[in-house]
Order: sequence, then structure tokens, then C-alpha cells
Amino acid sequence: MKFRRYGLLIAVLLVCLVLLTVQTRGGGTGRAADVLSILTTPAQIVMTKVHRSAVSLWVGYREWRTSWSENDQLRAENERLRVHSLQVAETREENDRLRRLLGLRQRLPMTTLTGEVIAREGGGWVRSLTVNRGAGEGIATQTPVIVPDGLVGRVVRVRPGASVVQLLNDPASTVGAMVQRTRTPGLVEGDPGGSVRFKYMARDGAGIIVGDILVTSGQGNVFPKGLPVGRVIAIEDRGSALFHFAVLAPVVDFARVEEVLLLTGQTTQDLAGHFARES
Amino acid sequence: MRWLLLMTLGGSVAQTSVVQSLSVGGATPDLPFIMTVFWALRRGPEAGCVAGFFAGLLQDVAAGGLVGVQALTKALAGFVLGLAGGRLWVANPLVQVPGLVALTIAEGVLRFGLLQLFHFPAGLGALMMDVILPQALYNGVLGAACIVAMFTVETARAYVAFRSPRAR
Repeated sequence: MKFRRYGLLIAVLLVCLVLLTVQTRGGGTGRAADVLSILTTPAQIVMTKVHRSAVSLWVGYREWRTSWSENDQLRAENERLRVHSLQVAETREENDRLRRLLGLRQRLPMTTLTGEVIAREGGGWVRSLTVNRGAGEGIATQTPVIVPDGLVGRVVRVRPGASVVQLLNDPASTVGAMVQRTRTPGLVEGDPGGSVRFKYMARDGAGIIVGDILVTSGQGNVFPKGLPVGRVIAIEDRGSALFHFAVLAPVVDFARVEEVLLLTGQTTQDLAGHFARES
Repeated sequence: MRWLLLMTLGGSVAQTSVVQSLSVGGATPDLPFIMTVFWALRRGPEAGCVAGFFAGLLQDVAAGGLVGVQALTKALAGFVLGLAGGRLWVANPLVQVPGLVALTIAEGVLRFGLLQLFHFPAGLGALMMDVILPQALYNGVLGAACIVAMFTVETARAYVAFRSPRAR
């Protein structure tokens, strides 16, 4: 019994260590992870839909509670109108979001693919979104992911029916960027607290000020040039240090992203102008 | 075993879909971890180890991180707690809730240690303040709520059994 118990633990630990070793040697997790995602992706889609419906019901219930003192007839009428109004508002907001996304898609000089967010991970160790586009639609790792406000992140894992998108504020995220006004280059990195920092900019001549907009620099051939990244909200100056850094407010509210554009094509054009019209 | 796998799958899927909307100040509970703890306390080290392994594996796959890190730390935590469950006075809620908080912190530190082998860029101090401690406290609060819910259900079940004619 004792041997069986410890044998199970040792077997599980060995499986984990083999998985980690295979990944660090560039082997990837391959089919095993794909098979797991085939199980989890449909369940995530169903769970998300159920959750959204439950939230809608809850919102409707709370609205109903605020008008309890009115008489029954008025309350019923009011409730009917409120539910209808919520549905219309929800539809209008969704319509607006999709219209903005479609407008951006038509303006961009490259091929893109729309995707819907089906899962989120925001615990701090990893900050990511899962979208319902995967290997079947030709998505590859490193594909940039945007919304009409700017950059969301990049695809880091591709499954058969879904892709995992590493967010800009993930602690392991690094994006080449520059100050739009002064063209000062540097790197935008996430940190465990959820904020985003602009680092490794030269101290002399940086000329960065609070309110400056940062866009992708286009270096590294991962992100096209000119995708809005964030706005400077504070500058940390460490006196005699060679480098200093700026704290950014991302242009995208990652918690509210529901639909995204995956940039499947490539371009060397500066895309900043396409976003300027949006803001 | 079937229930264990189904609940583990459900908990892991809920973690990436529903649980994210329960975020308080950026902190979210680790539902699969709480389920691992309860499996370990109720069914012993083997069930805790298997539940932790599958929960961690599914979380690793869903989150897009290194597959195997959470599987390893959660399996180890489930096993150790399953062993401790037979030796310590863990049936008491006053032990369970602080134990869940402490175990979350221990799992976080273990995960950090393991990730150091793969050059994880963040520091332990920042992770502890921004991620591990808030999540541990959230897990403790949610664990306490689960204990109250389970106690209520068990009390109601005992009352129904007592009132039923067959019991008389």
C-alpha cells in the first residue's frame, strides 16, 4: 500500500519533469496538449456562454429589485421595458464593437482574421486570453493580436480550435516600442502587478513626458510598426542610473476585450494612422 | 475516479472562464487548487495527487505556460496534504482555512522555485505581494465559504434522515 502510494507520486513527478524537459529542449508539448485542448476548448465555450447568460439574468434581477416599491402593473411594464432596453443596449454595444473592428480590418493593408475570446487567465503568473481561432484557420505562434484601441498581445500557443494569446502585461511579455512623438526606442515589458513598463530607453535625449503615446517600433519582425501600446502615466528617474523607465497605462482594457483581430498577414507600413482615426 | 476527473475538468474550465469575473483588486481564487485540497482531505494522498496533477495540467494547457509546472506543484501539494490529513487535526475548519492559505503560499513558492530553473523573469517579492498573498487570502475566504456550504448540506441531509418515517 505504502509502495503503491509513493510509486504514484514518483510516477506523476516523473511525467511532469519529462514534460518540462521536452519543452525546454524545443520539443513542445505537441499532440498531448492538443488532445487536452480538444477536451477543454468546447467546455470553455459552453461555460463562457452559460456565464454570460447568468450575468445577464443577474443584472436583470438587480434592476428588478430597484423598482420593487412601484405597483405591480407599472413594475411589470417597467421590467419588460428594462429587459428590452438591456437587450437593445447590449446589442448596440456589440454592434458598435464589431463595427469598429470591421472598420479597422478594412483599413489595414494586410490580411486579418477576427476571433472571439473564450477564456481568460489573469492570476499574475500568466496573463493570457484564449481565442476561438487555431491551427485550422492557419494561425501561427507570434501572430499579433489587436483591437481597435491598439495592441493586445501575441499568440504563444496554437491548438486545433483555439489559440492562447499572451497579453501585453504578462510578466514574460516583451515588445519593441518607441515614443510616437520623439521616436525614442525601448522595450515594453509586463510585470507581476499587472502594470506595463517602458524600459531600456537611453537617458540622454529620451525627452519622454507624461502623456506621450507609445507605439510598436516594428523591429524584430513580430509586430508591425505603429500599433498603439500605451500612454505614459509616470516616469521613474533613478538619478545617476544610465537607464530609467516609464510606467504605462495600456491603451487596451484587457479585462473587457471580447472580440479581437489576428494579424495573419505582414506589412512594412506604419499603421499608426489607421488607429489615430479611431481615437 | 470518474467524479474526480469530471470535477477536475469542470473546475479547471471554470477557472479560465467564470472565475476571472470574481476578481477582487486583481486577485482571483485558484478553484482547481481548492478542489485538490478538498479531494486530498476527503480521499487521501492518492486522490489528492491525481486531482492536483490533472488540475495543474489542464491549467498549464489553458494558460499557455510551461506544461507540467502547475501539474507538478499541485500534485505534490495534494499528496502532502493527503498524508497530513491522516496525521493532523485537519477536520477542524479552524485548521482547514489557515491551512489552505498556508498551502497556497507554499505552492506559490514551490512554483516560483521551479520556474527559476526556466529563467522566469519576475522576482519573488513582487510575486508574493501582487499574486501569491492575495490569491492565498482569496482561497482562504472561498474555502471557508465551501466549508460552511458543505456543513449546511450535511446538516440538512441529517435532519431529513432523522425526520423520515424509516428512521423512526
